Amino acid sequence: MRIWYRNLSIDVIITWVALVGVGLVAIYSTTNGPASEYLLESVRSNFMRQFVWALICTSGLIFAMLLPVRFYQTAAWPVYVITLILLIAALLIGVEINGARSWIRFGPVQLQVSELAKVGTILAVAQLLSAKRARIDTVRYAFLTALIITLPGILIVLQNDTGTALVFFALVPIMLFWSGLPLINLVLIVSPAVAGYLSIVYLPAGLIFAIVITGFVYFQTREYSMAALSALLTAGTTLVVSLALSKVLQPHQVARLLSFTNPEAEEFRDNVGFHLVQSKAAIGSGGLTGKGFMEGTQTQGAYVPEQSTDFVFSVIGEEFGFIGSIVVLALFTYLLLRLINLGVQMKHPFGLMVAAGTVGVYLIHIFVNIGMATGLLPVIGIPLPFLSYGGSALLAHTAMLAILLSLHLKKDEFSIYGY
Amino acid sequence: MSLYDPKPRLKLFVVIVLATITGLGMRLAKLQLIDTKEYTGESRNNAVREKRVTPARGVIYDRNGILMVDNEPTYTIMLTPRYFDEDQIPLLASLVNVEDSVVVQKLAEARDWSPFQPSAAFANVTLDIVSRVEENRYLLPGVTYETTQRRRYLTDGHLGHGLGYVREISRSELERRRADGYRPGDLIGIAGLEKMYEPYLRGETGSEFKLVNIHGREVKPYRDGEEDQHPVSGYDLHLTLDSDVQALAESLFVGKRGSLVAIEPASGEILAFVSKPDIDPRIFSGRVTGEEWSALINTPEDPLFNRATMSGFPPGSTWKPFMALVGLQKGLITENTVYRCRGGYRLGNRVFKDHNGKVHGPITVKRALQESCNSFFFNLMMQLDVDEFHKWGTTFGFGNTVDFDIAEQDAGLMPDSAYYNRVYPRGWTAGYSINLGIGQGDMLVTPLQLARYTAAIANYGNMKAPHMVRSIQHSETGEIVDLDLPADHQIPVERSNFEIVREGMKMVMEHGSGRWAQIPNIDSGGKTGTAQAPGDRDDHSLFVMFAPFDDPKIALAVMVENGGFGATQAAPIATVVAEYYLTRTLTPTGKWRKDQVMTLESQPLEESQ
Repeated sequence: MRIWYRNLSIDVIITWVALVGVGLVAIYSTTNGPASEYLLESVRSNFMRQFVWALICTSGLIFAMLLPVRFYQTAAWPVYVITLILLIAALLIGVEINGARSWIRFGPVQLQVSELAKVGTILAVAQLLSAKRARIDTVRYAFLTALIITLPGILIVLQNDTGTALVFFALVPIMLFWSGLPLINLVLIVSPAVAGYLSIVYLPAGLIFAIVITGFVYFQTREYSMAALSALLTAGTTLVVSLALSKVLQPHQVARLLSFTNPEAEEFRDNVGFHLVQSKAAIGSGGLTGKGFMEGTQTQGAYVPEQSTDFVFSVIGEEFGFIGSIVVLALFTYLLLRLINLGVQMKHPFGLMVAAGTVGVYLIHIFVNIGMATGLLPVIGIPLPFLSYGGSALLAHTAMLAILLSLHLKKDEFSIYGY
Repeated sequence: MSLYDPKPRLKLFVVIVLATITGLGMRLAKLQLIDTKEYTGESRNNAVREKRVTPARGVIYDRNGILMVDNEPTYTIMLTPRYFDEDQIPLLASLVNVEDSVVVQKLAEARDWSPFQPSAAFANVTLDIVSRVEENRYLLPGVTYETTQRRRYLTDGHLGHGLGYVREISRSELERRRADGYRPGDLIGIAGLEKMYEPYLRGETGSEFKLVNIHGREVKPYRDGEEDQHPVSGYDLHLTLDSDVQALAESLFVGKRGSLVAIEPASGEILAFVSKPDIDPRIFSGRVTGEEWSALINTPEDPLFNRATMSGFPPGSTWKPFMALVGLQKGLITENTVYRCRGGYRLGNRVFKDHNGKVHGPITVKRALQESCNSFFFNLMMQLDVDEFHKWGTTFGFGNTVDFDIAEQDAGLMPDSAYYNRVYPRGWTAGYSINLGIGQGDMLVTPLQLARYTAAIANYGNMKAPHMVRSIQHSETGEIVDLDLPADHQIPVERSNFEIVREGMKMVMEHGSGRWAQIPNIDSGGKTGTAQAPGDRDDHSLFVMFAPFDDPKIALAVMVENGGFGATQAAPIATVVAEYYLTRTLTPTGKWRKDQVMTLESQPLEESQ
């Protein structure tokens, strides 16, 4: 007789607690520091609210463990449908916050359905890709995968929550990667995004990338049609970007796009570049060891806007320095690798796909959020998983983790016949 | 079709995860390890504001330990335009009791200087206004206040030209003195003692580092004040001046232009130092607008002109003791040499007359002093070479600035032959210089020089360096600064000759022109003088005296511009001041004199124009 918790990944739970704990420490510093009397009352209560959310998430985690594996598999599609309904509902009856109509009020709490939508989407994709046929008919399933993810993404764009929508679009190539789509196709899908990014940073770099990637595709496939498609996608993107920047877009839109490469410039630093200037100053001034808990001048002076939500990493960078930042990165790395490992251990495609989707979502959030806070990327408002203030995000990210842990705990329940 | 197996893609996925996180780690290393200095500077510029903490300027005591000048706190409302919410202009205007347009204007001025740094907008506001602004601080981001200090004057006298005054440093002065640590908005001594002792009075400015939040408000000390530097207060000045005597002396000059300098002969300590008209230094503690300022200085009376040290005039008959001393010392006359006064002195075809052509008949030097006989001294001057005259004048301290606590000075004029050659290139004769014998003609002295000369006579030729500061001490550390006074100067005239001249000056007070100004019950020596004033104006009224005669405690020189005879205005002023200093009270006679002299005035400048 094996004991029931044999498969419980206690180390993942500890890592989760550590990350949520670091987030609470950072939020406490921003809202209850020595200068907090100058903050709004509503901001000052953020720490307690997040703490309550952490407790709710903990009980949710335990509850998720109790559910059988079959529940997740059978619930995947209904949850996805409910997700879509909620997204549409948010568009119609939602509450608008910061310009995005992605919030629905449930009694005393408001939930950001765009965050919650990630859970349903990942379950649905996992369910889709764990079908037996998916392993044969990869192209068809790749198309379905992209559709399933893009659908909520488009609804979220309509809600004007571009940052969250971007996570869905970025998730497409990651899930296609797992769907078994040939890698070269994946390269084709991802290359315009890279070309676009490079063109914004430095136009010639975009062109060079276009040439290199086209050559790469040709030598990999030896097909002129593929090479031509690659050239069209990358060079086309570069052309579109340069035209957009010079002709199509309004000056303030151009400034927003360009400013992240040089936010300190005189014309940007007080407006579109302000977030990045302040965030970089906070993180950079942290140095090796940081300024100490509740000693960060940028943090305590509230210079970085959204410093308890999207820019929470600036607090860690400033007050705990390079060492603190690396510890957070290390925790994330451990979590991601361990989750992949859990997925592999399950020997069932559903578990592996949930792990892949979860890790994919986390990775996108981590890269975009820290990339933004350190000035690698333009300001894209998405939270850092487990650390940023915000109940919906914490709930959604913990739910994904909880489902994965639950599946792993009961991995022996998976039918040995699989699908 | 082959069955797709996701497992082989695991490795690639792990590589992508690790590469992404490594990329972020490298970016962090760049920001936090390589470029950290730059960002540290940036964050510090953002959030840490250095507040200069003005040290308490040294205070000033009189010779009896009476506090004359100290400091009081004053509040300045500061504006940081970047953070200010323009919708709150009416609120701020109502709190500081000005029109909205004034706030708009101050905001524009502040923005011109710097949008990010706080600039002084409303100086010298009351604590009450500051508290009301603080109560509304949530509505008024970018509005802060600073506490500074201003001078507070506690005694009745102004001592305007003695103390000088303190003002915000000017832009040009700032350029010159930046190396000394001056910054915009700092106060600096402009004239008089405040200027001369600026390095001691000023103290060392301290710094406080404050954490400033995004709204420009100071929220807490930066690093718990670890980097703060406490200000060091300035050294205190202990003056030789007697503030009561000073106040009385100043009050006597009502309606007059002129000056009084009183010295303790045995020490050279200045007891009173008056130059009128002057400016009440209190006005510099408030805000002086440009218009008020030009109204003050653009008057013919010129209140910024320090008459005690800068006004040069011929000494008139107060010069006669000098001539007598030189004549006796050179052996041109003795105590008993008799000169026959015929009411004038004939030189060629010109006659230099006595006052009203009075004939004094046979007369000795003492009588000549008592009667102020011009002919006697014309005769003496005719036996003196102009260069000899110049040499002796210099010995008595004339013709040069005085090494003294107040830098604003005029050297006066003590002519020599080179001077006459230069001024009268077509030739000059004894007729040009004979007037020097009676303190007229081409010579100028200042009240300070005249007072020092009188003190030297009182002190039998031991001429002490005049000084107004007795000691410079630090109130906290007790440290005392070495004053380094100039050495005494012994005038090379024998004591017996001084005794003769002093006797003559005593006779002036007893029987001569000073008899109406004799101090009740106290013997003294003195000499009146009436100096021709330029233009068509009344003569300057002059008087020098020392008292008590046997052990002089005070020597004075008084000059009243266009005040007529020496005996009418200058003499009673000097004698009332001396009486009060020596006895701490005024006899009925003294009081009567005081009331009398307060009714007298200088001939107004407008009258003769």
